[in-house]
Amino acid sequence: MTISSFMGLQTALRGLQASQEAIDTTGHNIANANTPGYSRQRVDMTESPSLTIPANSNVDGAGVQLGTGVDITTITRVRDTFLDVQYRAQNSNENEAQTQSTILDQIQTGLAEPSGNGLSKAMSDFWKAWSDFSNAPTQQAGAQAVINAGQTLAQTFNTVDAQLATVQSQVGQQFSQLISSSGQVQSDASQIASLNKSIAAAQAAGQNPNDLLDQRDKLLDDLSSLATTTSSVDSQGMLTVNFGGAPTPLVQGTTVSMPTATDLTPTSGGQIGALLGLYDAAAGGTGTIQTSYRDVLDKIAKQVNDDVNTAYQAGDPTVPDFFEWNPVSTPAATIQVNPAVTALNVRAGSNPADPLGQDVADAIANLKGQGPDQAYAGFVAQVGSDVQSAQNAQQTAQSLLGAIGNQRQSVAGVSLDEEMTNLISYQRAYQASSRMMTTIDGMLDTLINHTGTVGL
Amino acid sequence: MQRITELMTSQTTLYDLNSALSRITKTQAQLSSGKRITQPSDDPYGASLAVQLNSQLDGLDSYNRNVNDGTAWTQATDSSLMSMNDIAQRVRTLTVGAANGTNNASNLAAAAGEVDQLTDALKQAANATYNGQYIFSGTSNKQPYANGTAGDAYQGNSGPGSQITRQIGPGATNTVTINTDISGLLGQGLTGPGDNGLLTVFETISNDMKTGNTTNLSTDLKNLDANMSTLQGLEANVGATESRLSLASSRIGDLQLSTTQILSNDEDVDMAQASIDFSTQQAAYTAALQASAKIVQSSLLNFLQ
Repeated sequence: MTISSFMGLQTALRGLQASQEAIDTTGHNIANANTPGYSRQRVDMTESPSLTIPANSNVDGAGVQLGTGVDITTITRVRDTFLDVQYRAQNSNENEAQTQSTILDQIQTGLAEPSGNGLSKAMSDFWKAWSDFSNAPTQQAGAQAVINAGQTLAQTFNTVDAQLATVQSQVGQQFSQLISSSGQVQSDASQIASLNKSIAAAQAAGQNPNDLLDQRDKLLDDLSSLATTTSSVDSQGMLTVNFGGAPTPLVQGTTVSMPTATDLTPTSGGQIGALLGLYDAAAGGTGTIQTSYRDVLDKIAKQVNDDVNTAYQAGDPTVPDFFEWNPVSTPAATIQVNPAVTALNVRAGSNPADPLGQDVADAIANLKGQGPDQAYAGFVAQVGSDVQSAQNAQQTAQSLLGAIGNQRQSVAGVSLDEEMTNLISYQRAYQASSRMMTTIDGMLDTLINHTGTVGL
Repeated sequence: MQRITELMTSQTTLYDLNSALSRITKTQAQLSSGKRITQPSDDPYGASLAVQLNSQLDGLDSYNRNVNDGTAWTQATDSSLMSMNDIAQRVRTLTVGAANGTNNASNLAAAAGEVDQLTDALKQAANATYNGQYIFSGTSNKQPYANGTAGDAYQGNSGPGSQITRQIGPGATNTVTINTDISGLLGQGLTGPGDNGLLTVFETISNDMKTGNTTNLSTDLKNLDANMSTLQGLEANVGATESRLSLASSRIGDLQLSTTQILSNDEDVDMAQASIDFSTQQAAYTAALQASAKIVQSSLLNFLQ
């Protein structure tokens, strides 16, 4: 058996094609060096099946296998799915801690401590006003100061509570926005579902849809910032996504089932978990803002209300209360100085016959440093340490996420140095294959045009 | 060997630069505000302590004001008692003069007239006020003795519940009584139910002078002396109250100083430490910037033709 004269051309052509494809892939990698979620692609090459030359056609009678060049088997994306799983778990943690720390920070800012503009200052001024009033019970100015300080204290309670309420309702809005039909969960899930369809079609046709897979993985990364996700790939290559511990998968095949508000819980993780942890218990949350902050503030407001009233009445229930609050609402939100108590009738002593009596004023001034003051100082410490531990958790999660992100980048990221090196070797290979072709062309030229021309 | 990509380098650089800058910003905020704690999360326990210490300082401020007010009150009391003493002294001189038996009726009548004037002066001294409050009326704030001839009955209150106190420290018992009860000393005069108070003695002296009863005058003198020693006892009490208030004032001053120091240790920034931190962090940040500017810039591309 003889070898075709043109076989070398075919071999060179395969070399050219393989190098060209590799150069194109290198270009694709370089172009996407900074694309989020992109994993670098690698051209897998193998030798093409060799040509078996039978034994009798050779000089010494032994058969040989003649190489026929190169084949491109696949273009694969380089990615470690195990790192993806870790990354997504950590991404949920990081986002949960981040959201928590941001919201708690707002609560802390609302207290305005220890700046001298917060509740502690208002309480302190209130006790001080009573102490001054006790020194000169007959002075109208002192009486007016007591009323004013009481109003300031009550309003400060109202303001702080209103701020907490605002944060609370914002948390609720954020949560409903996230899981609404125009929210990120819905949008990410629908995109995953449509990518599932395209990927399944491509894979059925035996293709390797690298870029679509990257996009789908990126969407899954995004979803993991909202709540914990687990995922599995079915036989068709479609991704099933379980989201935030909801019983029905968020995406299965090409179907999206949005979780209802009750499917998600504070243990859902991610932003949603953090929001639910802080949000009202009635809406499926833990209600931390309510129980740990607003309720405590209410307790302090009620304590101020009760202690001051008890001291003000001094055992005489016919005396009007100094403070009052609306039992339909909460103490902190509605506490105010009883309108019946004015600078004209506020009393410093319990006996109306003694204008210089000061037992009431002294009793109220002596509330300073007692129950309400101590409870409030404890409250400030509580809020502070909650914020601090959320911030610490966030920093830890952030550096862990950074480390895993780096590992993932290390596997999947595009290294320009590497691509440039590859570019040079593929370019040289392309040049060499071209030279091969030129050489064969020269051989054929000799054979065709210059053979058998003796004597011409 | 770990594979390193450009994105890794730039992301790590960005993260590190960010954290370096955030540390600098924090130190800078501490330096410019002078406070180590600007929000509770900087140091929850410290912040809570700062809240308590600030409230304590406000309390000390109140006690200080109470002490100052109490001191002014006792000083007013003191000067009233001193003028009462002067008045009694003058009456005593007149009585001694009248008792020696060498005076004629008109001399005695003149002396009696002066004693009557002094009786009014005594009542006026007892009607002294401080900051719009009668200092000798207990808590009733009524003019203790009526002017003129309306009788000498004490109009104020006395006994339990008539004390005026000033809070000089925390707690219901940390108080000083600043008012002085003179109703026993002055008595209710001759129109009253009968006592040996100053008013009674003055009026008796005046009557005895008018009637020329010199024998009675020497008894009156004894009664007067007894009252004057009571008066001096009251003055001594007021002096004791004043010195107690002054002690309280210096104790409060000491407490203010030490509490301010504790507060400063708690919430104020250690400037030396913060300045050193700041320059260290800034040097680190500058170095990081320089290094990243060089590393991120170059790649194989710089060297390929």
